[in-house]
Amino acid sequence: MEAPPVTVMPVTGGTINMMEYLLQGSVLDQALESLLHRLRGLCDNMEPETFTDHELVYLLKGQQGNPFILRARRSLSHPTAPWHLRYLGQPEVGDKSRHALVRNCVDVAASHTLPEFLNEMGFRLDHEFVATGHIFRKGALKVVVSKLSRILVPGNTENTERLSLSYLVELSVLASAGQDNVSEDMRSFAEQLKPLVHLEKIDPSKQRH
Amino acid sequence: MQQREEKQLEASVDSLISRVSHVKNALHSFIYKLENEYERLTWPSVLDNFALLSGQLNTINKLLRNEKTPSFRTQVIIPLLLSPDRDEDLAKLTEQRVPVFSHEIVPDYLRTKPDPEVEEQEKQLSAEAGRIGPEVAQKQIQTLNKLCSNLLEKLNNPRDDRDADTAGRQNKPSFNPADTNALVGAVAFGKGLSKCRPPGPVAPGHPGQGPMMSGGPTLQQVTIGGTSGQQAGMGGPVAPQQQGQPGKMPSSIKTNIKSASSSMHPYNR
Repeated sequence: MEAPPVTVMPVTGGTINMMEYLLQGSVLDQALESLLHRLRGLCDNMEPETFTDHELVYLLKGQQGNPFILRARRSLSHPTAPWHLRYLGQPEVGDKSRHALVRNCVDVAASHTLPEFLNEMGFRLDHEFVATGHIFRKGALKVVVSKLSRILVPGNTENTERLSLSYLVELSVLASAGQDNVSEDMRSFAEQLKPLVHLEKIDPSKQRH
Repeated sequence: MQQREEKQLEASVDSLISRVSHVKNALHSFIYKLENEYERLTWPSVLDNFALLSGQLNTINKLLRNEKTPSFRTQVIIPLLLSPDRDEDLAKLTEQRVPVFSHEIVPDYLRTKPDPEVEEQEKQLSAEAGRIGPEVAQKQIQTLNKLCSNLLEKLNNPRDDRDADTAGRQNKPSFNPADTNALVGAVAFGKGLSKCRPPGPVAPGHPGQGPMMSGGPTLQQVTIGGTSGQQAGMGGPVAPQQQGQPGKMPSSIKTNIKSASSSMHPYNR
């Protein structure tokens, strides 16, 4: 993985030191309606939320070792909303007793000049994509069902091509470090989505090649 | 003979009064509970109250049907005196419910037939029923019976439909593990997303992208596809060392970010 180990990161104290617990899966387009229906039943009673986001992934190549990654996201459906800058740490997948992937996570809202700022800092855009989908919540649990599209002409979010015939399904919780009991809640929630979707902890490094 | 009948009537009226007062008390306490203890009232206790009422009404019905009870139907009550003035005794007897025995309320309290409006409605209904010919009526009865039996069948055998439904769902896969892997790879590394960006100028007209790309023409586009993708892209003096330490990042990078950010930050502390 490219990001530095969590231990060398200068993020400490307060609400900054949050961990993201993550389970991932996918659902075929034709089964999407059934999944949304089930999620509407399982999750908090709220207005159905949809989103269309443009994510830009930036790299900073250091003097040595792996590049440092930051993810900038902006909403295409709400152009005036602030940008969202996110750092994701090295995922920990080895612990068998934990049912979810865990990684350090820092979320910051940013102004619209974020791309220029990152660029001035030496970050370079690596890739970008458009995610369109639905958000559900159940207490602290967040479920995002999204369609990923690649951007054909760099920077032009109108001209896209879908990546696959499936929707990505992500179940995540933000918690402070050490609250491993949330992964239990996640597992029991994931159980209720079977056999429609199998949410698992997937080691992203295995998907690299 | 007449005296005995009178005595019997009196006794049965007395027992009826006591039964009715039981019902009244039960109703009273139930209403009190509903009005004052509704916060901690549980559904089972509400059901208990209903059961009590229904049992008491049943005993009254039994009492009235008993052979020993003289038929109250044959007894006639005639209002002898009507007065528009307040009657304290009557008010006390009826717990302040009926303070006067006047021409206005007597028809309501001594009524033995339904209200005139109800009677009118009943008449209309029976007239309507009489208009329908026997054949039409038979047909309607058959249709209703058919509907009812169909509905009953559906309610009694829901399993067939349900099983067919789930079987149909199980046969069709709802997800594809290969797609899962592709999507996870895409969000994690941009796998499958176009990452080959020409270092030259980007299509104009898109805010935010132009200056970003033109700002660093000497920096080659970096790919993060593992070691194979790691090129010595940085033209600086530091690039060649990076191959040696995969996976570990020395803390110098941290300082690098810090210094970069502090130099950039307009509100330096």
